[in-house]
Amino acid sequence: MQCAETLRVQAAFDGELDAVSAAAVERHAEHCPECQALREHLKETRARIRRDLDYGHASPELRGRIARMLDAEEAAERRAARPSVRPAWRARPFWLGTLTGAGAALAASLAVVLLAPLVFARLPDELIGAHLRSLESGRLTAVISTDRHTVKPWFAGRTDVSPVVADFGAQGYRLVGGRADYVDHQRMAVLVYEHGAHVINVFAFLPGREALPAERSLRGYHLACWRGGDLGYCTVSDAGWEELASLRQLLLDLAVRDTR
Amino acid sequence: MDDKRSRFEARVLPHLDAAHRLARWLSRSPGDADDIVQEAFMRAYRAFDSLRSPDARAWLLAIVRNCHLSALAEGRRRAYEPLTEEHEAQQSVAAAAAAPSDPESASIERDERRTLHRLIAALPEEQREVLVLREMEDMSYREIAEVAEVPIGTVMSRLARARAALKALWPEAQGEPRAVR
Repeated sequence: MQCAETLRVQAAFDGELDAVSAAAVERHAEHCPECQALREHLKETRARIRRDLDYGHASPELRGRIARMLDAEEAAERRAARPSVRPAWRARPFWLGTLTGAGAALAASLAVVLLAPLVFARLPDELIGAHLRSLESGRLTAVISTDRHTVKPWFAGRTDVSPVVADFGAQGYRLVGGRADYVDHQRMAVLVYEHGAHVINVFAFLPGREALPAERSLRGYHLACWRGGDLGYCTVSDAGWEELASLRQLLLDLAVRDTR
Repeated sequence: MDDKRSRFEARVLPHLDAAHRLARWLSRSPGDADDIVQEAFMRAYRAFDSLRSPDARAWLLAIVRNCHLSALAEGRRRAYEPLTEEHEAQQSVAAAAAAPSDPESASIERDERRTLHRLIAALPEEQREVLVLREMEDMSYREIAEVAEVPIGTVMSRLARARAALKALWPEAQGEPRAVR
């Protein structure tokens, strides 16, 4: 009853066929009244829909709502990036200021604002360096455990932050332990995962107001960073981007559950 | 500081109208559509750093579709509102501005528009979405497959069913078919 070529006629109409296939469909349609009728119907339907059905544009009100939402999101990101516990290198200008007067305080604050991008520009290199050092024998983990109840408390007092910790062995990311690394003037908490033959270091730290480093490959290693709660996380590994993205998702989901 | 906002506005905001159209057609309610779009833009902004695909539109529309589905699942949606008087008025004004014509043919056009609207709104959602993405957004099968999260073959068969359904419903709903050029 229905011609076997209808889907191809439709695909030709939608511009989805290469020239050779389109010509073949054309030859078929010349002798097939059903396909000719179908083509007419497709043309008419498209013309009517494009003429009569347009919901036009988002209202100015909706645009305004989205702009306000983005303002709120940006403000929330800034708040998250300004935690109550300050890393030492950022807190210093404030007590410096009380000693030497408002002018010095202002100058020092300005210096921090101006220098901050430079400091963060160094972060990717420092993280890769820390990753490479960790691969030297015996330095990977200071606490060896697949149990989050062992790893997480170990960070207390040894690092500036307490990141979310879990073993994702079932998903292919086995928690092998943790350590503390001194990177970018902070004692970062490092989670160590194994994925197949790859070692993945996850650095957790207090981010500044600046953007976290963009994803990049340095010296053959991949670096991916994100914010979870009020912490910054960076993974470094020679594992693929997909693998890093999956681990990031697992940790993000965990952070969401953790903060509820 | 971070230029995330401006990058987001450059890459994603241009697709606001497309997002809004899809939300309107999926939810079939203007109020819901605005809520869905706002939610979708929030999710998109939060996930923006993970956007890899060069095709921000398909990425955004997939988020819109997911927001629509989760709104459905949570049961927080208003009832289907057929073409409203107000909306109709806007459309007639737009149509009149586009092609000034005598009152009689304007009224025929309005009837046709309402009929077509009703027919498409009555399609099963899975068919409606592929039809809208194809005809109104002019998306390729591959892009539609990405948004609707189905294989390309499924896009093709749903599209064919949607178009066939319109054909089946058209004559009885329409009376005299009108030549369209």
